[in-house]
Amino acid sequence: MVVGDVTTGTEVLVIGAGPGGYVAAIRAAQNGLDTTLVDRDGYGGTCLNYGCIPSKALISATDVAHDARNATEMGVHADPVIHTDEMQEWKDGVVDQLTGGVEKLCKANGVNLMQGEATFVDDSTARIAHGGEGQGSESIDFEHAIVATGSRPIQVPGFEFEHDPIWSSRDALEVEEPPEKLLVVGAGYIGMELSTVFAKLGVDVTVVEMLDGIMPGYEDDVTRPVKKRADELGIEFNFGEAASDWEETEGGVVVTTEDEDGAEYTYDADKMLVAVGRQPISESLDPEAAGVEVDENGFIQTDDQARTNVDNIYAVGDVAGEPMLAHKASKEGIVAAEVIAGEPAALDQQAIPAAVFTDPEIATVGMTEAEAEEAGFEPKIGQFPFRASGRALSTGESEGFVRLVAEQEAGFILGAQIVGPEASELIAECALAIEMGATLEDVASTVHTHPTLAEAVMEAAENANDEAIHTLNR
Amino acid sequence: MTVKEFKLPDVGEGVAEGELVSWQVSPGDTVSEGDIVAEVETDKALVEVPSRYDGTVQELFAEEGDIVPVGDVIISFEVADADEGDAAAEAPDTEGEPGDSVDDAKTDTEEAAAAETPEGRVFAPPSARKLARELGVDITEVEGTGPGGRISDADVRAHAESAEAHDETAAETAVTPGESEAPAEPTGAGVSETVSADAGPRAERDTTLAVPATRALAEELGVDIHAVPTEKTRDGEAFVEEADVRAFAERAAEPAAEAGAEAEAGAEAATAEPAREETVPYRGVRRTIGEQMATSKYTAPHVTHHDTAEIDQLVETREELKGTAEEKGIRLTYMAFVLKAVVAGLKEYPILNSELDEEEGVIRLKNYYNIGIAVATDAGLMVPVVENVDEKGLLELADEVQELATKARERSISPQEMQGGTFTITNFGAFGGEYATPIINYPETSILGLGAIEQRPVVDDGEVEAAHTLPLSLAIDHRVIDGAEAAKFTNTVKEYLAEPTKLLL
Repeated sequence: MVVGDVTTGTEVLVIGAGPGGYVAAIRAAQNGLDTTLVDRDGYGGTCLNYGCIPSKALISATDVAHDARNATEMGVHADPVIHTDEMQEWKDGVVDQLTGGVEKLCKANGVNLMQGEATFVDDSTARIAHGGEGQGSESIDFEHAIVATGSRPIQVPGFEFEHDPIWSSRDALEVEEPPEKLLVVGAGYIGMELSTVFAKLGVDVTVVEMLDGIMPGYEDDVTRPVKKRADELGIEFNFGEAASDWEETEGGVVVTTEDEDGAEYTYDADKMLVAVGRQPISESLDPEAAGVEVDENGFIQTDDQARTNVDNIYAVGDVAGEPMLAHKASKEGIVAAEVIAGEPAALDQQAIPAAVFTDPEIATVGMTEAEAEEAGFEPKIGQFPFRASGRALSTGESEGFVRLVAEQEAGFILGAQIVGPEASELIAECALAIEMGATLEDVASTVHTHPTLAEAVMEAAENANDEAIHTLNR
Repeated sequence: MTVKEFKLPDVGEGVAEGELVSWQVSPGDTVSEGDIVAEVETDKALVEVPSRYDGTVQELFAEEGDIVPVGDVIISFEVADADEGDAAAEAPDTEGEPGDSVDDAKTDTEEAAAAETPEGRVFAPPSARKLARELGVDITEVEGTGPGGRISDADVRAHAESAEAHDETAAETAVTPGESEAPAEPTGAGVSETVSADAGPRAERDTTLAVPATRALAEELGVDIHAVPTEKTRDGEAFVEEADVRAFAERAAEPAAEAGAEAEAGAEAATAEPAREETVPYRGVRRTIGEQMATSKYTAPHVTHHDTAEIDQLVETREELKGTAEEKGIRLTYMAFVLKAVVAGLKEYPILNSELDEEEGVIRLKNYYNIGIAVATDAGLMVPVVENVDEKGLLELADEVQELATKARERSISPQEMQGGTFTITNFGAFGGEYATPIINYPETSILGLGAIEQRPVVDDGEVEAAHTLPLSLAIDHRVIDGAEAAKFTNTVKEYLAEPTKLLL
């Protein structure tokens, strides 16, 4: 009993209704805890509203057009006409359906929903400022709080998103009329996904990237098929340059970039998309008021139970650190809710898979060969190229490969890298193998359906054991 | 080396016995003066019992859950004589050495370490890792029996069981460090055998023949029919008769045997299906609450009066003052205002601040205002009392309520701080809900229950609008107080809550 205060009280206050927060709230409510979920924006967070879902919808829609246009080899001749406004309408419909679903699920599970921006007052009280004029604010007492405030696109000083021709990824996903020329700053996964979308919409896309290749952090042979496809789509890359200035022109922008020697280059474009990463949203929450420590990058540090330095306050998802992935957020949310309910839950996963929806897709889980070596393993590698897969060839998409990294002696699978068709789906089997402590033998001996892309995972396992049928064992 | 005995000290005013809730030490543990050795629950509170000696725990004389009278010896210590200090310090070290099982344990750990892969990567499915957490097992220490050392659920369970067995044997050998050659089998069987020896002979059969009536009797007496000794046989199988069951049950009923039965029950519980029912002891704080509630409800004819205070102004006032309070490090709560409003009401209607003394045949009206506040704690309901509420300011009250509630929840509250109340407030609304029928904290004569403060529809001048409201449920002892007084008192409290500035008058 919260003696002495008859104000609104809740056992668990979840701040932020993205895939970390809403999942935590539902699980907390399922565990019989009185749970309140507050968000200043829409249900579903960045993922459902401005990230994963709308981007995947646009990627799929533009793929349909692109594939139709490029199917002459299969004997299909088509010249699709794209109505971007209708495409947006369809995408918004998908988003609405999902966010509506989240809201319904929360209600059906007995989660109290609240609209507003939460700020900590102390470690047991938060103030909720309701949106809109005259809506006022209210205090809420909590026994436990789960911070799931997420992240936002990083703004480069001087290139703030409030300027009309400068887009964040969120602006880019809402565009009704594609520009003729688009300059993309940043060749990370968001820059690459959106560059591909716009190139497939017929936009003249130029990418500038400070580093010397696309998607740093991935191995070269993994990103190579993506770079190759991007080149084929006519995307122009300029590496080793950073945007330094811009100027609005009649109906467009002139962007100046600088390389490390100080040489300047200029680019004309109608719009520019700045996609140089994301940063956690923590300052608006006033974490210090509750005694929650935040590191210099704005992330809240947590332990393996998603707990912050304050015992009754948890943090999950992007705000709790890299990797900024929706499924990582959900897992952390579940663990936080279960820990609060007194269950012995912990973040004990061996690996978190990640997927990039470029063309072709990239998906990875666990260790690369180099990481395995660094960790002290003597890695054993198995690889299978999609050009040897009957299913891949019969879809017309046979770029890329599946690679498994395993431990030498028993053959425990440590990691997987996939680039190619449906990589994002195929990685699930590899993640399961890693979590289960499966060996190459286990995967190789599991009968896989023919003809499917999933056979490639089995073949890669066989290849590592020098038992592959459809490739030469190395 | 001297053995010192330690008696359950008087843990609180007028407390004659306590339940030994938990031991914080085991035989063989080294303790320093002031270390907590046990937790004892009285009918008033949970008390931690500190050690008075530096030394080694020799023996525990009570089981967890036992009711121990004050003054009984509960624990003995081996205390070093001044010149024997070193020997005492070394004594606990012997506990790990004797017995094969300990060697096994070492080998286990070594093997596990050898199988351990770089970075402590463990090859175990998530289900096994979760099980390890549930059983409190460090998964990196489990030896996997699957291919390549993969860890299964069974491996985790085996590790947990062997760890328990080690603990038990370690504890046993520590009691008698001299007899280190005692066999130390890594199973729990040794324990129950030792104990059942006190309870007389005990059989261990898989099949037992008996007529249904005998089986029914065994069940009724809580006797495991397979454990009843008999020399009679039928068709080559042991045959048990009613008399055997009764004799066995009587022996088992002797105090010394209780532990054996419990150990047996524990062993069964480990293998049997989960029980359809569980029993939770009804004693300590729980029983005190129960007895109080029964006395009150059966003695005082309760009537509950319900009303709702409209408190928009109070919500605003609190908002305004909150900042000022925070600067002083105090969380200004609604409870502080409610306390003041209640005192104002009690002053107008003193009959609610009373006690009925049937023996003397008088109603005692109290001219002091000590208000109890019901607090839910893990152990049950506690009612700390805020004294002389009429003499205190809002901030002081808020602060004091907070402090008392915290103490109650942490069970560090003293019995004195829960006595001498004249009126009680219960804030069930903290858990939601509007109205309830609270039970009077006897021998007081009234109790005020608070519902949750929420915006609810109210009618103002023919229009329905939203307003902050506080539902009130006032229960009275109708022997002393009439409904009209209850209603009038409630109206006064409502007024003060609706216009908190009146509290200034």
